[in-house]
Amino acid sequence: MKLQAHGIETELPAGWEGRIALRTQPTAATRSIGDPAERTNPIVHLANFALPEQRGDFGSGAVDLMSEPHVLVVLFEYGPECANTALFSRQGMPKKLTPTMFSGAALQRTLPGQAGCQIFFTEGNRAFCLYTVLGGQSAATRVLPQANATLAGTRILAR
Amino acid sequence: MTALVVVLGLVVAVLALLVVGLLRSHAEILKRLHDLGAGVEPGQPTSQPASPTATPVTSREDFQVMPQVPSPPDREAFGGAADLVGVGAGGADALSVRIIGVEHDTIVAFLSSGCITCQKFWDAFAKPRKLKLPSGTRIVVVTKGPEAESASSVASLAPASFPTVMSTQAFTDYDVPGSPYFVYVHGPSGRVRGEGTGPDWEQVSSLLAQATVDAGLATALSGRQVAKPDADAAREERIDRELFEAGVAPGDPSLFSVTPPDGADATDADRHDHDGHHPHG
Repeated sequence: MKLQAHGIETELPAGWEGRIALRTQPTAATRSIGDPAERTNPIVHLANFALPEQRGDFGSGAVDLMSEPHVLVVLFEYGPECANTALFSRQGMPKKLTPTMFSGAALQRTLPGQAGCQIFFTEGNRAFCLYTVLGGQSAATRVLPQANATLAGTRILAR
Repeated sequence: MTALVVVLGLVVAVLALLVVGLLRSHAEILKRLHDLGAGVEPGQPTSQPASPTATPVTSREDFQVMPQVPSPPDREAFGGAADLVGVGAGGADALSVRIIGVEHDTIVAFLSSGCITCQKFWDAFAKPRKLKLPSGTRIVVVTKGPEAESASSVASLAPASFPTVMSTQAFTDYDVPGSPYFVYVHGPSGRVRGEGTGPDWEQVSSLLAQATVDAGLATALSGRQVAKPDADAAREERIDRELFEAGVAPGDPSLFSVTPPDGADATDADRHDHDGHHPHG
């Protein structure tokens, strides 16, 4: 199942669903945090479970529903001025995540049993954060191949 | 005297005709009401087909519609469901929604932005707690793609709580005769439990309940989500705003630093060049 929008495309494996959208414009009505004048950038949410419509940029609302076999992949694009800076010096999106990359402390919100991994990179002159959440760290060996297959099927097109 | 008798006889005859006509009309009304299922006591035999069995329903005779509502299209068997992929409301974003091989059931609601009857469903879906969805069921709204629909209109109508997929292909995949139209899919098997339409959500939900073994409509799917108290949500929002004003935006690396064990050096994750404020996208 192929998704394509905002210069990002992904070929999802069976059992996954995804969203490629622009970050919600911060306004008083949307309650999204940020500068109302900012130019919003794409956010990608890919998951092997049903994604709720009410979600935060980094998966809040979705991580609450995750159980052990679930994994959530977030691609969050930063502004063009961040590309190739020190934090985003890594070139190319990671395609192979390993269990040792994950930690219960690397979560935006700590939930029992969950583990996260955050990697910053630049690809196609675009700065991104890859944030991956495992519903159960103990299931990393079992579910990471699915996540890696999803990443392998994802391409970021250059600006 | 004779004339009086004749007149009385004529009056009686006319009244008799009136009574016969009223009785026939009454019988017709009772028959129509009986066909609609009114006044049928549990256990009494009816002229309707047997109630659904305790297995997922696949026979179109088990899905009953009101007489004036179009029945599901004639097919040898209900077609299988399909996962949905398309663009989001507004026409710019991309999304896919799993329908088959999932734990939950799905009601796929085919709507359009221009039909008057659909407006009742758009309005109903804006208030998810009042829908009284069967337990473990989610709604997905589908409209035709941007080439056949007004993306801006769909964006203004799309409910915040359910996915809205713009996809003309989905109308073909599900063999939808028109909108509004509803297909109830059993998630684990992908089988269509029932399909049809009605004039409003109350009628449709009643018909869908008849097509499944769920007697009565139980807790909504939203009950599975963690209900955050309003005070906690307000507190989180205030904290997010204060952090942002201090230069710590959502996703800022400083929020994710891993504290090293005592005496150990800082990890690579902590050595990144943090400029203090990374404008988020």
